[in-house]
Amino acid sequence: MRASRVRAVTIAVVAAALVTTACSSKSSTSGGAGGVALTGAGATFPDPIYEQWFDDFQQVMPGAKINYQAIGSGGGVEQFTAQTVDFGASDAPLQSDEISALPGPYIEIPTVLGGVVIAYNVAGLKSGLKLDGETASKIFQGEITTWDDPAIAKLNPGVSLPSTPISVVHRSDESGTTFVFTSWLSSQSKDWESKVGADKAVNWPTGTGGDGNDGVAAAISQTDGSVGYLSYDFAVTSKLGIADIKAQDGSYITPSIESISKAGGGLTFPISPDTNILNSTTKGAYPISSTTYLLLYEQATDQAKAQTLFDFVTWALTTGQGTVQKLNYSPLPSDIASQALDALGKMTVNGQSLTASSAVTGGSTGSSSG
Amino acid sequence: MSAAGILQPVRGSRRIKDLAYRGALWCCVAIAMATLGVIAFYVVKRGISALSVNFFTKEPASQLHPEQGGIVQSFIGTGIIVGIASLIAIPLGLLTAVYLAEYGKGRLASAIRLTAQVLLSVPSIVAGAFIWTVVVVAFGNFSAFAGGLALVVLMWPIVARATEEVLLLVPQDLREGSLALGLPRWKTIMRVVVPAAGAGILTAVMLAVARALGETAPILLTALGNDFINTDPLKPTDAVPLRIFSDARTPVPGLHQIAWGGALVLLLAVLLLSIGARVLSVRQQKRLA
Amino acid sequence: MSSAVGSDALAGLGASEPKARRARFIDRGFRWVTLLIGVGLIALLIYMLVDLTAGGWRTFSRFGFGFFTGTTWNPVRGREQFGALPFIFGTLVTSLLAVLIAVPISVGLALFLNQVRGLLANPLAVFIDILAAIPSIVYGLWGLFVLKPFLDSTVEPFLIATVGKVPVIGVFFRGKAQGPDMLTAGVILAIMIVPIITAVSREVIAVVPRDLREAALALGATRWESVRVAVLPYARNGIVGATMLGLGRALGETIAVTMVIGNVPKIGWSLLQPGATIPSWIASSFREASSVGLHRSALLALAVTLVIWSLILALVSRILVRKTAEQLGEPGEDEPVSVARLGTAG
Repeated sequence: MRASRVRAVTIAVVAAALVTTACSSKSSTSGGAGGVALTGAGATFPDPIYEQWFDDFQQVMPGAKINYQAIGSGGGVEQFTAQTVDFGASDAPLQSDEISALPGPYIEIPTVLGGVVIAYNVAGLKSGLKLDGETASKIFQGEITTWDDPAIAKLNPGVSLPSTPISVVHRSDESGTTFVFTSWLSSQSKDWESKVGADKAVNWPTGTGGDGNDGVAAAISQTDGSVGYLSYDFAVTSKLGIADIKAQDGSYITPSIESISKAGGGLTFPISPDTNILNSTTKGAYPISSTTYLLLYEQATDQAKAQTLFDFVTWALTTGQGTVQKLNYSPLPSDIASQALDALGKMTVNGQSLTASSAVTGGSTGSSSG
Repeated sequence: MSAAGILQPVRGSRRIKDLAYRGALWCCVAIAMATLGVIAFYVVKRGISALSVNFFTKEPASQLHPEQGGIVQSFIGTGIIVGIASLIAIPLGLLTAVYLAEYGKGRLASAIRLTAQVLLSVPSIVAGAFIWTVVVVAFGNFSAFAGGLALVVLMWPIVARATEEVLLLVPQDLREGSLALGLPRWKTIMRVVVPAAGAGILTAVMLAVARALGETAPILLTALGNDFINTDPLKPTDAVPLRIFSDARTPVPGLHQIAWGGALVLLLAVLLLSIGARVLSVRQQKRLA
Repeated sequence: MSSAVGSDALAGLGASEPKARRARFIDRGFRWVTLLIGVGLIALLIYMLVDLTAGGWRTFSRFGFGFFTGTTWNPVRGREQFGALPFIFGTLVTSLLAVLIAVPISVGLALFLNQVRGLLANPLAVFIDILAAIPSIVYGLWGLFVLKPFLDSTVEPFLIATVGKVPVIGVFFRGKAQGPDMLTAGVILAIMIVPIITAVSREVIAVVPRDLREAALALGATRWESVRVAVLPYARNGIVGATMLGLGRALGETIAVTMVIGNVPKIGWSLLQPGATIPSWIASSFREASSVGLHRSALLALAVTLVIWSLILALVSRILVRKTAEQLGEPGEDEPVSVARLGTAG
């Protein structure tokens, strides 16, 4: 190949690349009424409902292409802090050291309710095995090693338990689901609290790791005798056995959309590092319930992006709540949703506050209660 | 082994050992061919059912009906990322090779070669981590550009080493003749030697591109991925290996199938380039011999 | 070959003095440009090393050498402890297993390719090149959905039932067959490094002087004997060098390993338990590691470890290949390039 031809080709390609860049960057700022492209990253737990929301929202605002990468709650907070994404998503509320690392004031918006379930795949065991915090803590520490252990038998009189060895599965990535589950275990077992603790990623005493909710579900379904923790929606669609968890009042609650939404009343604003809806005292509320948060910066600088983001969150807190049950999530209680909308109202772009576009407010009555 | 011993007809334990040796060699061949066969078989079998018009032209559909969508944004993204990487790495690699082959005889050249060897053997995830700290954080953005730069870290040494080889094969008389005719050194190199090595350089480039096409780890940390087509090199972009990786880890069988489809296309592209490179290099060697 | 020849010739041909000076200037400029770019490559490596070390510095200064010997990896706020030993262990175990499986096969292939000419050799060489070109993600996909189920359902239960019962060695094969494990990772790695070990071994065997082998054959040695006496002793160093190159590749494979190894930071005897290698761990944790606290820094510290290892391995294998070349009287030169040597995408 002649050197001059190589040079000519190189120049042509560079020119083409430059032209492409120029054209596409122009189009990305021209948003207007149709919305613009956004990038978000974070929690895997709400990923299915978020993807559905992004799809539905694009019908309302065709230009709003929201690219969400479910890399885990830890990643969501990390990328949000580094400002490499337009919004973050986390299943755990921001902790104080994470807050102090942020470059500016932030807004934390709960979007949907869900639960963490203990899921298992044991030949001979149907769904509905009764477990409490202490027993779960021992299982996940590896102290209870077979399914017919007396501790499990005590909680399940009359159930025939196989002697299959227990294989624990946990998350290998940082995740809010882990945070919720370990927070609950810490609240139920002093032993767990001191030996392991609660965080988005912990030093698991035993078990194999799965990547994401999906990885854990896959790992549990591959091995007989496995047990792990999953978000409710993943557990339901994966057809694994789901445990009934003992509530504060001694009754055993089966996770369901209703029992999870009963726990939602406990959510208070403003969201603090300790905010949680675990161990709800409401009758019939599922003990390991949780919410998930979107993270935004209060002071935005890009008009088009801020408008699209504002519109999307408004839409999600109103119209969007109507579709969550189809995917096995629970909607926010209506008073919580309106408090969330108030929190969203603090968002400004270049000093100006935002109002929702007509496409979002006009004609959509938004069923938001649960 | 005494002379008398060797000159006897081959019998007994010597024969058995020899037969065992030959058998072992054939076993190795069989294992290698069988392994390749099994891999190729599964990739084709599982991948081909994913290939459809949708696969090549649409963006991903909802997780409930993955077959209605495709991964067009991954193909475009790979093209952009590898394109950027090539634009940067090929000239750099070529000029490095020129230095090594034409000018460098001493310790500096040796150090450059060693550096190339190290960069080639460092796991590509390290390049990804490096570019993340330097580019992604600085720009505040995951981007195709960052992905491209991470690939440059790998492609540059490949182009440099492979091109150096080819340049060294160009007969010295060509250089001497050109210089004798009065051409300055740099023109000799760029107008005579490089074109003479033309096909070989193309080979080196094809090998580097083939390698870059299949890289996942560096892009994992720098380009983030995208469910939509993105042509802006400064924004998050998808890539075929990245899409395969994330689809494979979901519990949705439809997405697994898409992953296999992506793997099949990727494998074909990489093989075409690699085999093409080999064919070209054989022809080049014949030409210069 | 100095540039003076060119410009003097120019002068000789009647070109004017300024033109000749200009030509010399461009010539020198060009040389400097290529030299600077070459140096740029070194600068890139150094920059990478410095940048990663800076990122990992907080971890190194907190744990010191204990980073490499610590066995706990705990990113929990308030209990942070980062020890890299589980990953060093996992990396070594899977790579050694890969080498144990791959070297005999590769040397066999290399010997075969050396003695057979014509119709069969070329296709086989092409197939090995194809194996070399397959990207890591494809190996990972195949490993996850084809190899792992196969090993889990067939090979591993067999191993548990047979070798697992033997005292001493049996400890390597205890536990559950199901699930991700280091054995699967080792097998995948073995497949991936066969091409490079074969390619280098083949070259090393090819430069062994034929006369020795032919003399042995002429004296009535069997094929095996001629190889044992006239080839292997000379090729030994080179094969070790090839093994080191293969080991280097195995140490660095990321994506294929991370998909089948389970990513659990534990040390244990059994190959049938999940583990983690340094690259596989970085790949699975990096995107979400928080830089508040030490997690991100610890991962960068792991990355630095990898770079230093690669450097050491590259030096060692280079020395070994040179020693072989010297032994055989060839001028020491760097390893020639081939598809296999350029490695698989990771």
